Amino acid sequence: MTTESLIDEAVAADDATDAVTAIDVNSKEKLGESVAVLNTLMNTVQQQVLGRNEVIELAIIALVADGHVLLEDYPGSGKTTLAKALGEAIVADEDSNADSHILPFRRIQFTPDLLPSDVTGVPVFDSSSNAFYFRHGPLFAHIVLADEINRTSPKVQSAMLEAMGEKQVTVDNVTYPLDDLFFVIATQNPLDLVGTYPLPTPQLDRFLFKISMDHIDREAELDVLNTYNSRRHLAGELATVTRSQVLAARQIIDQEVTISPAIKTALVDISRNLRTDDHVLQGNSTRSMVLMLPALQVSAALRGRDYVSADDIELLLPRVLGHRIELAPGVTDIHKVLKENMREPMEMLARSTLS
Amino acid sequence: MKPVLVTTVSYENCDKPEHLQSIEIIVSNTSTANMTARSNHLLPTGLRAVIVASAFWLLSLSLTVVSGSVAALLGCGLACYLAASRRTTDALSAIRTPVLLGAVVLLSLLGLLLASSMANSSLTANVLSPITAFNSAEFIKWLALATGTTFVLRTLAQRTGYGAIVEILFVASAFVITLAAHRNGMIHRPFLLGDYAITRGIDPATILMAFGCAAVLALSSLLMIENNHRRLPYHFAVLGVLCLSLLGYIQLFGLPTPQLTNDLGLTGQAQDGRSNARENPFQDGENSAEDREAPVAVVVFRDDYEPINGAYYFRESAYSQFNGTMLDFSSHRSMDQDLLENFTNTRSETAQPPGALDQRRSVRTTVGMLVPHRSPFGLATPVAYENKPNPNNLRFKRTYDVESLAPEYDYEYMIGRETGRADWSEEVRQEYLQLPDDPRYGELAQQLIANLRPEFADDPFAKAWAIKTYLDENGIYSLKNEHAYADDPAGSFLFGDLTGYCMHFSFAATYLFRSIGIPARVGIGYSVPAVNRGGGSSLLVQAVHGHAWPEIYFRDVGWVIVDPAPQQTLVDMTTDPQNDLQQLLGDMLRDEAAFEEFLQSQRTSFLNLTIILNSLYALIGLTLLVAYLVKSYRLWAPGHSSPAQQYRVAYRAALDRLAGIGIRRKVGESREHFARRVAAKSPALLPLTQAHLDYALGHHSERLDAQQWRQLQSQVAKDIQQNFSPWKRCLAVINPFTWLLTR
Repeated sequence: MTTESLIDEAVAADDATDAVTAIDVNSKEKLGESVAVLNTLMNTVQQQVLGRNEVIELAIIALVADGHVLLEDYPGSGKTTLAKALGEAIVADEDSNADSHILPFRRIQFTPDLLPSDVTGVPVFDSSSNAFYFRHGPLFAHIVLADEINRTSPKVQSAMLEAMGEKQVTVDNVTYPLDDLFFVIATQNPLDLVGTYPLPTPQLDRFLFKISMDHIDREAELDVLNTYNSRRHLAGELATVTRSQVLAARQIIDQEVTISPAIKTALVDISRNLRTDDHVLQGNSTRSMVLMLPALQVSAALRGRDYVSADDIELLLPRVLGHRIELAPGVTDIHKVLKENMREPMEMLARSTLS
Repeated sequence: MKPVLVTTVSYENCDKPEHLQSIEIIVSNTSTANMTARSNHLLPTGLRAVIVASAFWLLSLSLTVVSGSVAALLGCGLACYLAASRRTTDALSAIRTPVLLGAVVLLSLLGLLLASSMANSSLTANVLSPITAFNSAEFIKWLALATGTTFVLRTLAQRTGYGAIVEILFVASAFVITLAAHRNGMIHRPFLLGDYAITRGIDPATILMAFGCAAVLALSSLLMIENNHRRLPYHFAVLGVLCLSLLGYIQLFGLPTPQLTNDLGLTGQAQDGRSNARENPFQDGENSAEDREAPVAVVVFRDDYEPINGAYYFRESAYSQFNGTMLDFSSHRSMDQDLLENFTNTRSETAQPPGALDQRRSVRTTVGMLVPHRSPFGLATPVAYENKPNPNNLRFKRTYDVESLAPEYDYEYMIGRETGRADWSEEVRQEYLQLPDDPRYGELAQQLIANLRPEFADDPFAKAWAIKTYLDENGIYSLKNEHAYADDPAGSFLFGDLTGYCMHFSFAATYLFRSIGIPARVGIGYSVPAVNRGGGSSLLVQAVHGHAWPEIYFRDVGWVIVDPAPQQTLVDMTTDPQNDLQQLLGDMLRDEAAFEEFLQSQRTSFLNLTIILNSLYALIGLTLLVAYLVKSYRLWAPGHSSPAQQYRVAYRAALDRLAGIGIRRKVGESREHFARRVAAKSPALLPLTQAHLDYALGHHSERLDAQQWRQLQSQVAKDIQQNFSPWKRCLAVINPFTWLLTR
């Protein structure tokens, strides 16, 4: 072999490495851009909703992970503000030929006498065109706030949940697709249960997270009072992201953030542990694990990682499983049960990195 | 309380008389209380069962065969279970205590009857073999006995206030009865324990002390179970400390010494040379024969010697000076110069060695005193004394070597010899001839020697022999006598009923010798029958061997023992040979390699401790070596492994370092959580963990180069250097198993 050919080969090898690095860099850049979009979104919302950084983060994770959240809270805790801020931070694409029926934000106040058509929309007869046309209901929006979802009849609830699950609405045998970004923030009051229709566990399974909101801390509450006026006029001045940016971020994160087999093993093991635990009446579904994967990826990306790690599981698992697990009678502390069942799989996960 | 209420309600509706109702209520009340108590007190109940069962087992060991002991153990367990189980107590709760106890006793008696009929009938012996028949009879007997007794004890303890005390007394007496054989210096008894210990080369005392401690613990725990069992561990701790301090006391001050055999003035504190005061050597009434078998000393013969007159004489001292009422230790400087009177730390030799060396054999003996003595004693005639290091401080009060010139002459050798030593002054000679101012001695002596054949009429030995023969034939040996408080006990004996023991004989003979001009004294010490030696080289001296004998000084020979041996005796002074004890003590005293070897061989046959220990040491050493190798490999690896492995190896090394100083991940804790937790102590772990996880969970692509890995890893080491005290780091270096702590 001549010296030249040696050099050639070296150069070729160099090129190959460069190519790999280039791809690496490329994908890294893309991921970085996506995370920047999410951070912008988060910043915008955070400036309008004070002291709720964790909830905002979880909401954005759910949004990007194509899930929905259920907030358990009391009146006046800022959930509407949160949903509205989120809706307004995502603007429609300028050049889009998208459906003009889709709005950034809608709020539905659920009451016992609400009907499914109030939510989905209804065909209305237009006498001028002598035909029915579909009047879109409030579900046709990027962000939908479903307030006090447990106050309405199961009929409406199931219509709502179908829309959440399938991202479509069927009225009079005609199916209308919802927006790709369709994201529901549902709320319910955990204490005032008189005259409600509590959501059964299978329906709760549609929500990616159930988040219990505590009162915000003292400083944040003071801030809310102090900046009340100034924040009213913020709306137009804050940075926004476009709908397509969010959708792109969703796709890029799904592609770029690795989920190691060890992580998946840990998830499955935790689920299996929970199902066999005597303290648990009914364990979580397989679907919950599937839904959780994108959320883990988003959580990892938000933390600047391109792989899912134990931190993400520890952050999200209680939120994902909290409403999916039915505890045996007499067992109250879900966190303790989770902790017990997570210990061994998490230990295996930690050990897997050294072997 | 619920069941009680239910009972009350249900009985309110039926037609029982009122007093019956109340009784029922009380019964059910107590049974509920017992029920809760029982469920809570399972441990104490079990403990009590174990204690009572072991007490019974101990008691049965010396009384029956193995099957009987097993039956005793089983019976106790059965009875304890029955007494504790709710079913039986509920069923029996209606029966009154005396009736119940009577029934149990009756049942046990039936069991005993069955056992005895089994053992006695020829039918069972024919059907089974005689041995099987006997064994099963013992089994049934002890089962009945143990079950009955324990059930009675337990029932009493449960139903009455005093029952617990009876139970405790029973357990205590089981221990006492078993260990009673050990008293009076019988250190090899009970044989059950003694044999076990000796064949394994353990001092039986240790085992017995352990037994004692166990007994104390068992008894006190029984006591405490009856009361508040919650403080049990605390009490146990205190008791344990007490028992251990007892052990320590014994190590420091030795075992308690039996105060024995002081009748002859042999034992007691070592003579200090000033005070010669002694108590009356003549004992009144009945001498206690209880402790007579107690070992006093053991003598190991270094040279071969067999006494011609059938007994070894060990002289300790002599009564030679007449003090006006009786003979006493001499205060005269030039008297009794052959005696070795004081214990010294070096060698001391007698001032007046005996003569007739051609008729004597030099014998070296080693003496181990189990009881303190006033003076050293040695095989007659001792000429040199030399203190020896004590091989067993626990056992021997004093050990020393004695060189003796032991006589091999027979009595004919004395015939025709003069008496008295040539270099005695007249004063000394007169001292040896002093006797009570009583003419009867001279008269009796003259009367006795009157019948001598003419050729021996002037021979001192022949005269002495005539006197000895008179005492042999007419004296009656008895420990009971009435001479003790006479002015002259020897005279009272000699001219009275001639009934007395060695003291009377020796004093009487000495006075008789002296009355006819033969210089004589009373030698005191021990006289041990030659058969006791039993062919071994050690000889056990027991309290019963304490003796006093008359001695005559023959010119050029020395003090010759002329010991009257009464042919009539009212008391049996023979003792069982204690060959085991003799050999044990002899071996202990000899303390030679041979004995060690013997013990070693016993150990080998039982369980080769040395080999086990050695292999254990080797195993431990090997484990440590391997552990250190692994440890150093894991710390060394980051510098030498491939870049692809760095993420694992470097991180592992850092974790090893942290584990060494006690920082480790909790089970179930994630790596990043752990890193954040210790960030205050070791900030460098955070980036290292990050990099590690990047690689392990991520794309396997973001490789730092080996240099960077090493840098991160050594940064952790630097953190440790800065934030932890030197002794902690030192421990981390020493600990070979740090890598096992790493997770």
